Amino acid sequence: MRVEDEPGWLLHARPYRETSLLLEGLSREHGRIGLVARGARREKTRQPRALLQPLVPLSLAWSGHGELVALTAVEARGQPPLLQGTALLCAMYVNELTLRLSPRHDAIPEVFDAYELALQRLADHPECAWTLRRYERDLLAETGYGLVCDSEADRGEPIDPAQDYIYIPEHGAVVYAGQANVLRLRGSALLALAADAMPDSEDLASLRRLMRALIGHQLGGGSLRSWSMLAGNLPAR
Amino acid sequence: MSGSVLLAELIDALRCLPGVGAKSAQRMAFHVLERDRPGALRLADRLAAAVERIGNCRRCRSFSENELCSFCANPLRDKSVLCVVESPVDQSAVETATGFRGLYFVLLGRLSPLDGMGPRELGLDLLAERLRGGEVAELIVATNPTVEGEATAHLLSQLARDAGVRATRLAHGVPLGGELEFIDRGTLAHAFGSRQTLT
Ligand SMILES: [Zn+2]
Repeated sequence: MRVEDEPGWLLHARPYRETSLLLEGLSREHGRIGLVARGARREKTRQPRALLQPLVPLSLAWSGHGELVALTAVEARGQPPLLQGTALLCAMYVNELTLRLSPRHDAIPEVFDAYELALQRLADHPECAWTLRRYERDLLAETGYGLVCDSEADRGEPIDPAQDYIYIPEHGAVVYAGQANVLRLRGSALLALAADAMPDSEDLASLRRLMRALIGHQLGGGSLRSWSMLAGNLPAR
Repeated sequence: MSGSVLLAELIDALRCLPGVGAKSAQRMAFHVLERDRPGALRLADRLAAAVERIGNCRRCRSFSENELCSFCANPLRDKSVLCVVESPVDQSAVETATGFRGLYFVLLGRLSPLDGMGPRELGLDLLAERLRGGEVAELIVATNPTVEGEATAHLLSQLARDAGVRATRLAHGVPLGGELEFIDRGTLAHAFGSRQTLT
């Protein structure tokens, strides 16, 4: 199979063999793909090394079948989003999340669009946490594990903003009834997510815990390595 | 090919070196056997000793066979300036190319969660402790200008700020002897953005 001029991003790049790079790409029409850039680490190369890294909008061309295809051309597609400081760390988290949650060769253009929107928002807005929650919500929804945030799971009643709920993976929100060791959050947090309206900082923090629990569940109990580098996990902070 | 099993094994072993394929490995093996057996014995001896005895410096994490490497143990180096690099190769590049007389801290990697490299793996707790010690006045961040290098630089600047230490970053831009039309857009944009006043 030959693909030309496909809009894409690299989620990850690592050295492969003597002079090559092993790339994990996200494309709009072909989903997540494994690519080999042969000879990309040689000093003189047709494919500019500066392009072969994450967070640069690219136009990709490849050929081949199976798990790994050969990158045949790469070009810049517009200016990279200006990501600095915390926004850059958040973008690396977005990459890890996308890589872990999206299956290879499963083209979901909505995931690609949500990914680009998330990077643009990280570049534009200082409020990174809300951008991450929105992307997590959309990515979970597009990969088949969407949350139901506007009605209660057992009786289908509308969520009450002032009521406390617990959210059970693959089931939904149920009214909090004094259970121990559960992830409890206000109805207003769930409604904010459903309405795509930024909640207050307390709700934002409980949505962060909820998303981590749901993503962890999705990964079969695993966790994302980026969590260790995001706020609150640095030495002496 | 000869019938020697040892020779075949030697050729195979040599291929663990970077840039050495089957052909060059064979050439190397024949060369030492035909022309330089004493050199080969010395190589084997030094290789075994280095692999066995070289560990990491307790202070800067660079390669050292002693608890402290020769930089950290040198009383003439300026303890108030600390240069953070990704690897011992980068450390050696800075040391050779500049007149830097301060000390180093070697991350042995860069921030890359997907490769399992987080703050702990980079020794940032050790670095934070060092910065809080009060001896360091300037932290020179010399990570590479890649996405991961920039993210690492951000974490380092946070550590420095928390400890009240001034952090500086290597300038990057147009390479000396380079011509604008041949420079990639990202580099040129960066150089343009961080232009300096002419004096
Ligand atoms: Zn040392």
